[in-house]
Amino acid sequence: MKITIENLQLRYGKFTAIDDMQLEIGDRESVVLLGKSGCGKTSTMRCIAGLEEPTAGRITIGDTVVFDAEKGINLPPNKRNVGMVFQSYAVWPHMTVFQNVAYSLKLQKLPKDEIKTRVMETLELVGLEAFAERGASLLSGGQMQRVALARSLVMRPSVLLLDEPLSNLDARLRDRLRIELREIQLEMGLTTVYVTHDQQEAFALADRIALMQDGIIVQMDKPTAMYNEPVSASIAHFLGVSNVLPVTASADGDYTLTDAPLTVTTSQTRPAPGAQDLKACIRSEDLKLARAGVAGANSWEGVVRVASFQGSSIRYAVEVGDVALDVVAPKGSDDFVVGDTAWVTVSPAAVQVLPEAVTKRADLTVGAVAA
Amino acid sequence: MTYTLPPSEQQDEQSTRAVATSRGVESPAPKSRNRGRIALKNLRREIPSSVLAIMFIFLIVLPMIFIIIAAFSTAVPRPGNPDVGTFTWENFAILGTDRGVQSIINSMIIGTGAGLLSLIIGALLAFIAARTDAPWKRFIYIAGIAPMFLPALVGALAWSILASPTSGHLTLFLRDIGLGGGINIYSYGGIIFVLGLYYAPYTFMLTYSSFAMMNADLEEAASVHGAGLRKLFGSVTLPLAVPALAGAAILSFTLAMENFPVNAILGNPAGIETLPTYIYGLMVGDPQPNAAAAIAIALTAAVVIVTVVQQRVVNRKRFTTLTGKGNRPRPVPLRGLRWVATGFAVLYFTLSVGMPMIALVLTATSKNVYINRFMDLFEGFSFDRIAQAIGQSDFRESMTNSIIMAIAAAVVGTLIAFLASYVRYRSTSRLGQLLEQIAMSPLAIPQVVLGMGILWVWLSLPFPVYGTIALLVIATLAVNMPQGYRSISSSMLQLDGDLENSAVMLGAGRMRAVRNITIPLMRTGIVSTLLLLLMLGLREMSAILFLYTSDTRVLSILVFHSFENGSISYSAAISLVFVLLIAVVAIATQVIGIRERKFKDASL
Repeated sequence: MKITIENLQLRYGKFTAIDDMQLEIGDRESVVLLGKSGCGKTSTMRCIAGLEEPTAGRITIGDTVVFDAEKGINLPPNKRNVGMVFQSYAVWPHMTVFQNVAYSLKLQKLPKDEIKTRVMETLELVGLEAFAERGASLLSGGQMQRVALARSLVMRPSVLLLDEPLSNLDARLRDRLRIELREIQLEMGLTTVYVTHDQQEAFALADRIALMQDGIIVQMDKPTAMYNEPVSASIAHFLGVSNVLPVTASADGDYTLTDAPLTVTTSQTRPAPGAQDLKACIRSEDLKLARAGVAGANSWEGVVRVASFQGSSIRYAVEVGDVALDVVAPKGSDDFVVGDTAWVTVSPAAVQVLPEAVTKRADLTVGAVAA
Repeated sequence: MTYTLPPSEQQDEQSTRAVATSRGVESPAPKSRNRGRIALKNLRREIPSSVLAIMFIFLIVLPMIFIIIAAFSTAVPRPGNPDVGTFTWENFAILGTDRGVQSIINSMIIGTGAGLLSLIIGALLAFIAARTDAPWKRFIYIAGIAPMFLPALVGALAWSILASPTSGHLTLFLRDIGLGGGINIYSYGGIIFVLGLYYAPYTFMLTYSSFAMMNADLEEAASVHGAGLRKLFGSVTLPLAVPALAGAAILSFTLAMENFPVNAILGNPAGIETLPTYIYGLMVGDPQPNAAAAIAIALTAAVVIVTVVQQRVVNRKRFTTLTGKGNRPRPVPLRGLRWVATGFAVLYFTLSVGMPMIALVLTATSKNVYINRFMDLFEGFSFDRIAQAIGQSDFRESMTNSIIMAIAAAVVGTLIAFLASYVRYRSTSRLGQLLEQIAMSPLAIPQVVLGMGILWVWLSLPFPVYGTIALLVIATLAVNMPQGYRSISSSMLQLDGDLENSAVMLGAGRMRAVRNITIPLMRTGIVSTLLLLLMLGLREMSAILFLYTSDTRVLSILVFHSFENGSISYSAAISLVFVLLIAVVAIATQVIGIRERKFKDASL
């Protein structure tokens, strides 16, 4: 079901966790709230769940207004039909897997047979049908995560909320469960809100990503658009762009590095003239190393200071002037060693010149809610 | 795998427009009504915390206010006469009298002496048990905590049987073997010795965890950098333990200062008057309650100051020990001193538990009531006197009263502690922190003083509570609130709040989620709190000193009175039953604690 958040605000004393947020989540859509810890993403989710009481604003799930500060509406969490998977899973250790999953159905006083069928169906969906009678405290992390998911799915929630459900798992399991989660979400056509600080997770699971900083959604986009066109240097940095270099605009339309006398050219959209605090953002894999310089723009001579083997690639720190560039080159025949002179080249299409931070709210432009 | 497309921008716009129009149609209600409704909602949210606040006011706040009023006025509340007299400073003059000054000095001497002694015993035992290679480590640990289950009242009684100057068993023994009668428990030294002995378990417990959980990396880092064992101990281990040591010393100082039974049993025969016994003296006999209130204020002020210092120190301690995790520190090799260390623990156990228990058994069972020589004790035994004691109606009544009072106080106390912890840690109530502070405040109020305040409150209130067990339950509840609250809230803090939240998300109401999830998961914590309060309730004496009547006497009071009246062997016999009762509860507590730890290990 659709979720509409209007003018949402959450304050703890003087601290503002969520500042006047507008957000529309479509039916069957998966939106990932992405951001660093403390940016307000979990608070937003807990407001939707009803575990946190916002100080202002309105939240609508489907056609039901679940929270409205002005009208004094605040539906308790148990009346919202919202499923939630907690970061800690919150699987009850004093019950079996079956009892955990059956809990919501028992509350609904469904007949025993139906409970049994629905629980087993759901356990099958998450691959735990063989563990129904196992005590929940004897499960592994991955299995607990599946129990938590099954427990939320079995009640057929209008909306499923997931609070960093994969962060306590080891890397390989995380990769596998990420795909499973996406499959289940698409198969069941669930509206989901997913909170994470891991960009890979966000890219893999989202229809749209809402990137949050300091209680504000600063950018809201599809994953590919978010990856290719971050709107600020701080977002680019957060999304894994490792070369973020301060630049100043020169008269001829190019840019000069603030820390070194080097010229940077970009063929991407340029920020409005007169914009301050600009950064050139270049992904490490877009930088190329060569023995000789290349004619044209964006080719600089430097010295290799660190070379570290990473398996399929080699990561270099190349000193160009006073700037250390992070370069990831595929493993090849012509590998550089420390002390080598190397030319660093980057296509103007791979350079983005962005302001350090954006002050405007992405949610206002995307959601376009009339105030 | 198929991807569904995200909803198009157009759909979004439509839906937002729909929202905008619907909002236009439903015009918001007038502001003033909203504000009223919101205020009402906030008020409803504070109902549980307000109920608790009112309870705490009657249990703790009001009694303290009555003490303060009494200290500054010419009268105290009496039944049916809530008149509190007129304002005066004169009550405090008593602090300047010779008796007043002497009792302050005596309390300071005894508090300091007992604090130091219990620190030395407790910390040494803790160090031996936690960090050395001494044999019988398990026994050393048990020796360190066992005396806690022997009320200081019984300990003082047993030691007065053992070492009174005329007929103490030890005194007689030493005289019989020609060493003369050099010992006298009725002295500063004797009081300090007994208090130090019975408060050492507190310092043991506080310092043991600090020694045992000390981060081994810190010490290993020092030895990697070339520190020898002795240097290591002096420069790393000891400084790290200093906050815990200081905190423990201050705790036992305050406990010894405000202790009533030991000071009374061992101090009265020698004419050594301390603040608690002076208060008692002013309350019974020729009553000067306003003067007693003035002394109570002085005693409370001293304890509050020291407690504030202690909390500062303990807070710092938390900072250093919480880093301790991972591998255990390596044991310190004692070499030739290994058995000396164990011997020290054996000696402590003998002095604190072994000899007192034997003395009680001998006194209660020996055929000779009057002992003139040590060997008289062994002229024959009979259980007649114990059987007789058990048959006495006042014993039976006291026993019943003790059990009823302890159970009622434990059940209600656990319930209040649970509610207060829930309000503090699981609700958004603004009163949570205040409730916590009030719940913990009896730590800084001497039990005798709080009991006195409770007496005056319930005398002046129009409820017929005075003279019933309910009054004793109220006092026991109040003085043990910190222990109950701390026990329950630590158990609640270990439980992830989302366990309960997830039940609510799945459709359970809050109450139902608490019943289905929180209470079952906290079961061991709740049961051990219940048993802890039961044990403390059984031992309670100082708080109910002014509250019992002949119908509501409890075991501790009966022991004290029989001793005061000179029926030593009768009080020894009652003490034995008393200790047995407490031991059963104490052992149950330990067993539950062990099971809880196992349960946690299994669930991890």
